[in-house]
Amino acid sequence: MSVQTPQHRYVGERLVRVEDPRLLRGRGQYVDDIDLPGMAHAAFVRSPFPHARINGIDVEAALALDGVFGIFTGKDLNHLAGPLIAGRNDYGGATLGSDLLETKRQLLAADKARHVGDAVAVVVARDRYLAEDACELVHVDWEPLPAVVDANEALSDDSPRVDEALASNNIVHKDFETGDVQAAMDSAPHVFRKRFHHGRCHPAPLEPRGIIADWTTGADRGVTVWISHQMAHLMRTYLSELLQMPEGRLRVIVPDVGGGFGLKAHLFTEDVVIPLVSRALDRPVKWIEDRYENLAASNHAREVFCDIEAAADDDGRLLALRMKFLGDVGAYSPVPYTPWIDVGMAAKSMLGSYDIDNVGYTTDAVLTNKCPTGAYRGVGQTVGQCARESIVDDVARKLDIDPFELRLRNCIGDEPRVNPIGPHHYDGGSYAECLRKARDVLGYDELRERQLELREQGRYIGIGICNFMEHGAWGSKTYRAHGADRPFIDLVRLTVEPGGSVVVATGLTPNGQGHETTFAQLAADALGADLEQVRVVQADTERTPFSMGTRGSRSGVVGSGAILRAAEDLREKMAQIAAHQLEAAVEDIEFGGGKASVRGAPSQALTFREIAQIAYFAPEKQPEDIGEPALVSTRSYDPDPTYGNGTVVAVVEVDVKTGIVKTERIVFVEDCGVVLNPMIVDGQIAGGVAQGIGQSLLEQLAYDVDGQLLSGTLKDFLYPTAGDVPSVEIAHVVTPSPATTSGMKGVAESGIIATPAAVVNAVADALSPFSVEVDHTPITPNDVRALLRAAQASSQAATT
Amino acid sequence: MNKHLIKFVLNGEPREILVEPNELLMNVVRERESLTGTKYGCGIGECGACAVHVDGQPLLSCIVLAADVDGREVVTVEGIGSYGQLDPVQEAFLDEGGVQCGYCTPGMVVMSRALLNENPNPTELEVRHYMRGSLCRCTGYSGIVRAVLSAAEKESSGKAVPVAS
Repeated sequence: MSVQTPQHRYVGERLVRVEDPRLLRGRGQYVDDIDLPGMAHAAFVRSPFPHARINGIDVEAALALDGVFGIFTGKDLNHLAGPLIAGRNDYGGATLGSDLLETKRQLLAADKARHVGDAVAVVVARDRYLAEDACELVHVDWEPLPAVVDANEALSDDSPRVDEALASNNIVHKDFETGDVQAAMDSAPHVFRKRFHHGRCHPAPLEPRGIIADWTTGADRGVTVWISHQMAHLMRTYLSELLQMPEGRLRVIVPDVGGGFGLKAHLFTEDVVIPLVSRALDRPVKWIEDRYENLAASNHAREVFCDIEAAADDDGRLLALRMKFLGDVGAYSPVPYTPWIDVGMAAKSMLGSYDIDNVGYTTDAVLTNKCPTGAYRGVGQTVGQCARESIVDDVARKLDIDPFELRLRNCIGDEPRVNPIGPHHYDGGSYAECLRKARDVLGYDELRERQLELREQGRYIGIGICNFMEHGAWGSKTYRAHGADRPFIDLVRLTVEPGGSVVVATGLTPNGQGHETTFAQLAADALGADLEQVRVVQADTERTPFSMGTRGSRSGVVGSGAILRAAEDLREKMAQIAAHQLEAAVEDIEFGGGKASVRGAPSQALTFREIAQIAYFAPEKQPEDIGEPALVSTRSYDPDPTYGNGTVVAVVEVDVKTGIVKTERIVFVEDCGVVLNPMIVDGQIAGGVAQGIGQSLLEQLAYDVDGQLLSGTLKDFLYPTAGDVPSVEIAHVVTPSPATTSGMKGVAESGIIATPAAVVNAVADALSPFSVEVDHTPITPNDVRALLRAAQASSQAATT
Repeated sequence: MNKHLIKFVLNGEPREILVEPNELLMNVVRERESLTGTKYGCGIGECGACAVHVDGQPLLSCIVLAADVDGREVVTVEGIGSYGQLDPVQEAFLDEGGVQCGYCTPGMVVMSRALLNENPNPTELEVRHYMRGSLCRCTGYSGIVRAVLSAAEKESSGKAVPVAS
């Protein structure tokens, strides 16, 4: 039997989002908007020291406040659940096995605090004001200890240990080589070296983390958790194990989420503490992370020192590339991924679309007394692109070859091919085409002329390029290749209800991606339904089937694959019913406009409602061989990995008097295969670009030499504003992926993966007349001035 | 601490409530009045997610004491547009892809409305300047800026009319 595939009406269209009217009216429902009867509010007592022994905690004065319901320390809670161990009880993290020294994180620090913001007690009170006041009255007897602040020093034998139970501060070391890097370096005419420090970043979603737990006892024993998160079902799995509560009695609901960016794809200690205190106090408890907690004590990301070596011949052909990635990963391993993800993904993305035979890397992840580092959109890949693209521009400058030309000379072909750095095959792309297109959109030659003219006037603009790849659509194969030998299962349940409504139920857990719209587009096309008929239900473990969640640019690909499969099942059943009723052959049934009709006789048709009425209520009208008539199918999809690609060019102007860098233009040429909704894809790109500009020029998580955090507010940690980000000039190239059912590739991270390298290179290009080396992010005005002062001093020294 | 009785108008309705002297307007709006469209993002007036109109001027409710709105008129995002008829600013955010996660959106709507009330024909630079105090982590501002410009164009050409509560 072959059932017709409907014509596309919605996929590829720029449809407005069905989510938006409620969000625009302030009627979204985020965790903090939920109010339960009798609900109490939690606040945490946190360490003001980077490293300190806890000699005692006195809660008497705080507990005496009227309206304080309870105060809990590690002594009260740590024996009930935990510790949290990354890479082991992980489900979807990286299982590094014996390669990883495990940190065991207690729910509340009981013996020692290991970073500024480490939580030592939780106060639960009538309202948050009172809980905060009570926190002030909790007296902790601290004994400050020397802190490990610099990852390079942390490697020395006489460095203090962040975790005395471990043999070293370096908790993961991995290396890799293909070809013979040293031989290639030894025989190459030119070898280039630099050290690049990629600064600490923060996902910093505008909505901080937050959780409500309602633990009921007695016959209806169970826990309901509302949490701002990216993985509803995995959170249930984690909590089920840690709280020893069967999954059937645990419900995790993810309401609207105000941005995640990977931060909300982790298990944090607070996520376990809040259910436990709800049980202890027999009432619902809410905790909303405040901005200080978010900046000091959630997760930072990707602080990596990169030692880069590249060998080239006289024509700029790259002969070898070697990088050493040293991650400053903070005080604990984030669950589930481990801190290897940043250095690991930096390494895996260091080669990109370059054709180089001899490639090697080492990766190390070193504990320090700083906030832990975990997944942030573009995990590690940003670092890998920055390191590579930065040295590529050095090669171009020193050999006096145009940077576009140098990249074209070293570019791989478009066909699918083995990725020499592993572990996957590239699924094909448009690597050189994107470079050329970006050059055209930019008006490159004129811009270079303009650059020279402006220099004569004392104005310095710079052009920076990044030719990037984005590793997306994470599933079983990807994780297995990265060392996590666990399958990925993502189910979608598709139902045609008795009245003809179509319901898509998925545990994929969106946080701004617009799944209510895109999944409806996909389901409507796959069934031949009208968009208005389709409703998407998501991210509630009691209403949706299991999913590994929304992260790693996977939901569009995974969701579309499963929806297409389930829709095929439903079309088959509906075609059988329609054919029987209309006295036609099943092969002649066509779907479209919410109807099944006979090919060539469009008036011979049944609406979805009419078909569903037969399926659910009229067995006498069903064909005898219908089997189970219900119009429901639950299917999964586990994609092969995809590699999107593209070219980003940043044009900046550096004010050499103030050091301020202004991003004038971003040209973004992107190939993510088949585009599902251009408005949403472009929105993902523009958002990632802004984050990329932020992390390369503005956002800083500064610690002083003693390990004290200096960036605890949004006055210190600077989000890019509307004044800092230009309108992004986006162009698309479409190379459908042979690896996925829909031809789509992951796209959500490309903006942030690629933009920082382009901005860094643009600043370096602008400052090229001054012979300075741009070797870190973020590049703040102070840094620019310091570089220029140093250059001036050394040129004066040379002339005197 | 002595509580204060304050009288003010909230989205067109007169209100009389007792507030603590240190109670923030944001808490009154969100916790006492259950108007949860107004959002917390930073607590120090840096992100704009808590913006509301007070006597027609945009203010950040996370750094305004509730006692200070005694005798004044407050409009939150819930007072702008209705389901049947979105405000032209809201309509434009919908059309131009100005929304992703939606968390900054109420503040953006409040600020955009204030901008267009003040300056019906802003340039792109003026929009970007005016909106600098409203942070968005998702959109890169592209859709937001397009939306404000598009709403301005429609309103000033008479194709759309602001919808107040």
